[in-house]
Amino acid sequence: MEKRGGHVYFAKKDTDAVNYITNLAKEKHVQRVVKSKSMVTTEIDLDKQLLKLPGMKLMETDLAEFILQSDNWDEPTHIVFPTLHKNRDQIRGVFEKLGYTGDNDPTRMARFAREYLRGYFLQADMGITGCNFAIADSGLINLVTNEGNADLTMAIPKTQVVVMGMERLVPSLKEAEVLDNMLSRSAVGQKLTSYCSFSGEQVAGESDGPEDLHVVILDNGRSNALGTPFESVLQCIRCGACLNVCPIYRHIGGHGYGSIYPGPIGAVLSPVLDGYEKFGDLPFASSLCGACTETCPVKIPLHRLLIKHREVMMDKLKTDKAFNKAIMKGIGMGTAHSDLFQMALQFDHSATLPFVSKKPTTVDNLYNHQGHITHAPSMAKGWTDVRDAPRPPKHTENFRRWFKDHEAQKGASNDDQ
Amino acid sequence: MTSDNREEFLNFIAAKAERPRHQLTDHPFVPLNDLPETTLADKTPAELFALAKENSEAEHVTFKTAATADLPSVLDQMITDKTAQSLLLPTDERIAAYGLTDWAAQVAPRPTYWDPAGSRTENIQRAQDADLAIGCVEFLCAESGTITVATTPGQGRSFHFLPKHYVALVPQSRIVPRSRQAMDWYDTELKAGRLHTSNINFITGPSNSGDIEMVLVVGVHGPIDMTYVVLTDK
Repeated sequence: MEKRGGHVYFAKKDTDAVNYITNLAKEKHVQRVVKSKSMVTTEIDLDKQLLKLPGMKLMETDLAEFILQSDNWDEPTHIVFPTLHKNRDQIRGVFEKLGYTGDNDPTRMARFAREYLRGYFLQADMGITGCNFAIADSGLINLVTNEGNADLTMAIPKTQVVVMGMERLVPSLKEAEVLDNMLSRSAVGQKLTSYCSFSGEQVAGESDGPEDLHVVILDNGRSNALGTPFESVLQCIRCGACLNVCPIYRHIGGHGYGSIYPGPIGAVLSPVLDGYEKFGDLPFASSLCGACTETCPVKIPLHRLLIKHREVMMDKLKTDKAFNKAIMKGIGMGTAHSDLFQMALQFDHSATLPFVSKKPTTVDNLYNHQGHITHAPSMAKGWTDVRDAPRPPKHTENFRRWFKDHEAQKGASNDDQ
Repeated sequence: MTSDNREEFLNFIAAKAERPRHQLTDHPFVPLNDLPETTLADKTPAELFALAKENSEAEHVTFKTAATADLPSVLDQMITDKTAQSLLLPTDERIAAYGLTDWAAQVAPRPTYWDPAGSRTENIQRAQDADLAIGCVEFLCAESGTITVATTPGQGRSFHFLPKHYVALVPQSRIVPRSRQAMDWYDTELKAGRLHTSNINFITGPSNSGDIEMVLVVGVHGPIDMTYVVLTDK
């Protein structure tokens, strides 16, 4: 990339990436930005930060993202079809605010967006795109679209910024070609989408394309997956096939996940990127039917990773490692050694005295040894919070003693005969 | 503002992954199978042509054929059909190779050209003003109905995207089975230094979108329709 004249910036966190891009925009006195659809810029919330710059105008140019932006920055619901939650009448309502006067026919509305956005394209001085794949050996960026907006974003503005997750790299054009085929088929059932482009900074003699190209390579939590069972989630090519087959996604829709990555992939990825405190519920939002794993073109074991998330979460957040563990160890020892166990049986009645209810018993149980335990300490508290525990009998009245006496009596009576 | 934080970033990743940093050249990527190369590779040129036609038409492409001698009349007809008021041509030696020099000199409307000496604004404006653009492309992939074209000084990026209607001229000998064969060619040419380009486009039919109720709309940001003309004697 740098050999081709481009600039590469490695951003560890979302704020690093946003700062780099806003500084670049300031330095170049950028006034008009066009964007083509990019999940990763939504992830780092770039749009709103750029719009804070004085005089800045920014336009999402993917039809769906344009609709969302025009509807006061509504959130996307699907990786491939971000406006899946809106019907044509709602979209007409959004467009009417922009001056559209026609009916709710999708073609006419799309033509309106074409004309409306064309004006923006022609005046844009910075283009921001995502990146489907970055090609390591030739330094080209591969973008896959159907509308052609990404190509206009890469052709018209003088400055182009590419924001890519650090896992988007492929060795050469050949692998990109294989993955483009895979992506198109899995995402929309096409053999290839309308536009697959492989592009870099303008070379001598060409008159359009970026004169200045900046690529921001973003970590932002992706490295959390490295060296863990979740590493394979970085294989994701963002086709959205797992969403389409997911019974949970079909019922709750994309907004229900509270993350810009919805569906099974989102349920696996979001906790990796942002932690269990924020997205710990997502791995439980699954029937574990495994349809996602079955359909995934890059063979991410999605439902197994959901189970793994639950396991890690239980282990990390719910298991009390210190005190209870020590107690369990004590109980283990006590029950494993007969001397200790005998000793416990000697003292259990008197030792439970402090925990016995002081109130008089209203209903007497058959099994009653001077009161019931109503406020046991530590691990047993969970039990006595909701029900009474019977107090162990006195040592002289317990079962072992009774059995011993009983056997002795039986022996005596046998001797008599 | 360059990659001064690159080493730190890469070392951090290597540490996280608990794997030392390494180069792909030390252990080249080995594909699991050769399906990208072998699929459709055994088809005859006639079979590939039939597949190309079928798959292009499935992508809403108007698929035409013409011998070089008939090409001017086919293009004239198209200008009439689209009621094109303005025409954009590339500055490309293939226009002459396809025998279009004389036609271009007298055709109405008078063509404008994507000019290698022109400025960014001039060329983009020409493409924006064009009702119809006639482009010369390198390959047609039979499996997906895809045309492939590398950007040149005489045929820029916006050439293929801004005009309203778009015609691609492609020799029949350049119909390949799949995108793989086209990509192999670009990869080889780029690495050999014979191809100087910043951009390769694989274009499959007119621009489209399913973003409104998943209803397919043909013609969004790029051309609203697309015609492939296969030159039967080239």
